[in-house]
Amino acid sequence: MQEILLVLLNGLVYGLLLFMLSSGLTLIVGMMGVLNFAHASFYMLGAYFAYTISVGIGFWPALVIAPLLVGVLGVVVERYGLRAVHRNGKLAELLFTVGLAFIIGEVVPLIWGRTAVPYRVPAALDFPAFTLGGINYQAYRLFMMAVSVAIFAGLYAALARTRLGLVIRAALTHPEMVAMLGHNVPRVFTLVFGAGCALAGLAGVIGGNVFTTTPGMAEALGAIVFAVVIMGGLGSIPGALIASLAIGFIQTASVTLDAPLGAVLGRIGLPLDPHGALGQLTIAHAAPAVPYLMLVLLLALNPRGLMGARAD
Amino acid sequence: MPGETQLPASVSVRPARRIGRGGRGAALAWGGAIAIALIAPHLFASGFGLSLLCRMAIAIVFALSFNMLLGQGGMLDFGHAVFFGLGGFATMHLLKLVDGGLALPVVLLPLAGALGGALAALPAGWLATRREGTSFAMITLGIAELAVALVVMIPQWFGGEEGVSGDRSGGVALFGFDFGSAVQIYYVLAAWALLAAALMWGVTRTPLGRLANAVRDNPLRVDFLGYDPARIRFLTFLLAGLFAGVAGGMQALNDEIMTVSNIGSAASGAVLLMTYIGGVGTFSGPVIGAVLVTLLQVALGTVTDAWQLYSGLIFVAMVLWAPGGISGIVQSHAPILRAGRGARLLGPYLALLPAVGLTLAGTVGLAELAYRLQAVRGGARAGRLFGLAVAPTDPWQWLLPLALFVLGAWLLSRLAPPARAAWQEAAAQAARGVS
Amino acid sequence: MSAPALSLRSLHKSFGATSILRDVSLDIPAGTRHAIIGPNGAGKSTLFHLVTGRLRLDRGSVWLAGDDITGQSPHAIFRRGLARSFQVTSLFPRLSVFENLRVAGMRAAGCGHAFWRRIDGFAALGARIEEMLALLDLGPRRDVAAGALAYAEQRALEIGLALVGGAHTILLDEPTAGMSRAETERAVALLRRLSAGRTLVMIEHDLSVVFDLADAITVLADGGVIASGPPASVRGDARVRAAYLGAAAEVLT
Repeated sequence: MQEILLVLLNGLVYGLLLFMLSSGLTLIVGMMGVLNFAHASFYMLGAYFAYTISVGIGFWPALVIAPLLVGVLGVVVERYGLRAVHRNGKLAELLFTVGLAFIIGEVVPLIWGRTAVPYRVPAALDFPAFTLGGINYQAYRLFMMAVSVAIFAGLYAALARTRLGLVIRAALTHPEMVAMLGHNVPRVFTLVFGAGCALAGLAGVIGGNVFTTTPGMAEALGAIVFAVVIMGGLGSIPGALIASLAIGFIQTASVTLDAPLGAVLGRIGLPLDPHGALGQLTIAHAAPAVPYLMLVLLLALNPRGLMGARAD
Repeated sequence: MPGETQLPASVSVRPARRIGRGGRGAALAWGGAIAIALIAPHLFASGFGLSLLCRMAIAIVFALSFNMLLGQGGMLDFGHAVFFGLGGFATMHLLKLVDGGLALPVVLLPLAGALGGALAALPAGWLATRREGTSFAMITLGIAELAVALVVMIPQWFGGEEGVSGDRSGGVALFGFDFGSAVQIYYVLAAWALLAAALMWGVTRTPLGRLANAVRDNPLRVDFLGYDPARIRFLTFLLAGLFAGVAGGMQALNDEIMTVSNIGSAASGAVLLMTYIGGVGTFSGPVIGAVLVTLLQVALGTVTDAWQLYSGLIFVAMVLWAPGGISGIVQSHAPILRAGRGARLLGPYLALLPAVGLTLAGTVGLAELAYRLQAVRGGARAGRLFGLAVAPTDPWQWLLPLALFVLGAWLLSRLAPPARAAWQEAAAQAARGVS
Repeated sequence: MSAPALSLRSLHKSFGATSILRDVSLDIPAGTRHAIIGPNGAGKSTLFHLVTGRLRLDRGSVWLAGDDITGQSPHAIFRRGLARSFQVTSLFPRLSVFENLRVAGMRAAGCGHAFWRRIDGFAALGARIEEMLALLDLGPRRDVAAGALAYAEQRALEIGLALVGGAHTILLDEPTAGMSRAETERAVALLRRLSAGRTLVMIEHDLSVVFDLADAITVLADGGVIASGPPASVRGDARVRAAYLGAAAEVLT
């Protein structure tokens, strides 16, 4: 029982981290229609910036400064890169972000090395908050949850209540109309892109020390974040939250289940040779593929396709 | 969504060549390609040279198959290496059977690659080609990740970390090819490359090839002209998977080993890089890109660790400023040169040269210093750069390349707009003069 | 008597709460030229989208030469002999004028999805395209990318794409929109010539073109048919004058 509770808690932490990453991308995709391939790279930059800053002046300043730096970088990328390729169409935008992800993936190991950096949980929160079945539960993980929940509440309130939120929601569905009403849509786009990147950076700051901060961390999450955003129904913050938690639980829970696929399928009446190549697969093996499977099936079989949520 | 698949406008507005009129030029180009394939191993007879040529032959077929989708059909496939890799594994398994005594000519094994690639493209294409544009691209991304997960999950078939390996010197020696010498594998691969390229070129001149272009430009209208755009995408996808499988089969024969990395995202990224740098707008673009990028990779790879970074920077620069790639740049200047207006561009272009040089020198300087810094931290020696002793830990050494870069970029921002204007004017005049 | 080329039976279409077309029924006899007129927002283009499979009907049915084509896909409907043009020019911008027309003529020439036969091997198709190029006055521009054509040339090509495929029924959505007087006259002559033996249905705002070409006129207003018949009877219809013609009435007299 306590074991299950622990799995659930870890799934919740991972899911909330995914949410912080995907909430930024949700805003960008939903509003600008740009599938930002480099989004997870900004997450990685957030973690590395936080590492350097926390070594210099500590974790708490890094919590504020690193996301801001990443956000500024996002603004520069949008203003001087994306905007220039925008007129060449959607594929050109996608290719630009692919190239950007590639370059960031090369520059990061150049500056910080090819192996993981020792980015650690701040000492102030590195104590067991409670004990479950003999396992200590770190207070920092509770802090992570609190930050994620605060982000969700803040975003939701900002989009629902503020004037800028109103413009953003309107620009999601009717960009020309919003422009005609005198709002500077390109400037709103730049802001949204910067804010989305800053959110990814924040996820990096608070996630990089619990998981590991390595040059491979962007690639490991890149496609999963897309899966989350698409599952959540582009442009929907609550949708992104639900999808993030679902994938967080599935991934965390399945890692601890190591029943062979052959035996499981045999129990529900599907014949699969339990000693063949497929039969010996365990659920833990197959789990990483789940988000991608959902990504493919949702896109290919949903009659409205990718842009279903956008009105056009 | 119409318009979603539109490629960069700057690739677009030029007359498509009339099929048939280009007959003599095409014959000349193919004759040249065969001649180069025959002469090359004599010019680069060293083991290093031959292995480089072999890698080029493989890359050419792979890039051409990728461009059947991106350039001809407007489909960005993020998982093209899946078909390359599975074709390679299929070839590898057959090669192992041959090693075990099956009497087949090894020379013909890339056919197994074709079959493997096409079979893998069947379910993938069925799912992906229902969509166009960015949705298509995202589906292929998911399929690529799924394929890698599958390959890792089933070590019984794909050999896990070590991969699957075999020995090409067994089997029946067809046409006297027993792979006893290094030059033999080159001739076999060159023959396959020429054959596959010729077939892919042929496809561009068939009804399906033309329909693929039409679907790239305007899928909605194709639907109203009696063809199902999804079906055209599907058939094109199968053919592209088949030829990627041929390339994978060639790779299997060349390396005698296939691993997960041949399927993964890095391999898919590499083919995108080559094709885009060469140019997606023409048939020859991917060939140029494959040759150039392979060459740079090997040539630069021996001198600097920064090769990956440079290729990424070149790619982004192309996306931003030359979406037609190298062949696009050549093609946009051909009518100007033919109309005899090239001389007018000389001035503005020459003025750009120092600015480009400064920017490049600055970029290379910064990148190299960074890589050397990493090397020094790792305990290695910094070595020399452009004949100068490098001390990457000295902040002053960073100042010079930084200054060069800033100066170059500033000059470029000043000089590029007039050069562009001169080009546009010359192109407009050339177009008026011709029609 | 043979079945009408096109028969619309009680078509209904709404977008959300907004009703666009209400109970539209219409028979268009084979071999006639039929014009559909009406003020902006009357639902004319929507009607074409419903007939050609671009949009789905809410209720009603569409019959082509005696066959029910309701709910079929655009390409299936084309294969039964119905071609159309678009109000907003819809070409293949990166293909040459020649290739644009060739793509449009492929289905009728029996090219299928062949990737083992040379497209130049379809000699009859090539000849047909050359003929169409001459008719459209686009001969000198045959190798120019469609995206680089002047507007009027693009409109001519747009009509050409609908006509070249050998469909027996052709729907043209504002074929002369944006053309000059002289270009319009040439287009009318072209339509007269190429519609011989075929059924032509066109949405048109230029009433002189309508009265010049059409054997019958249907007036659509507010999503419904308010008059349909030979030009003379429509011209005299009081409801038409009231609902639609207004200031343009003097053209009719």
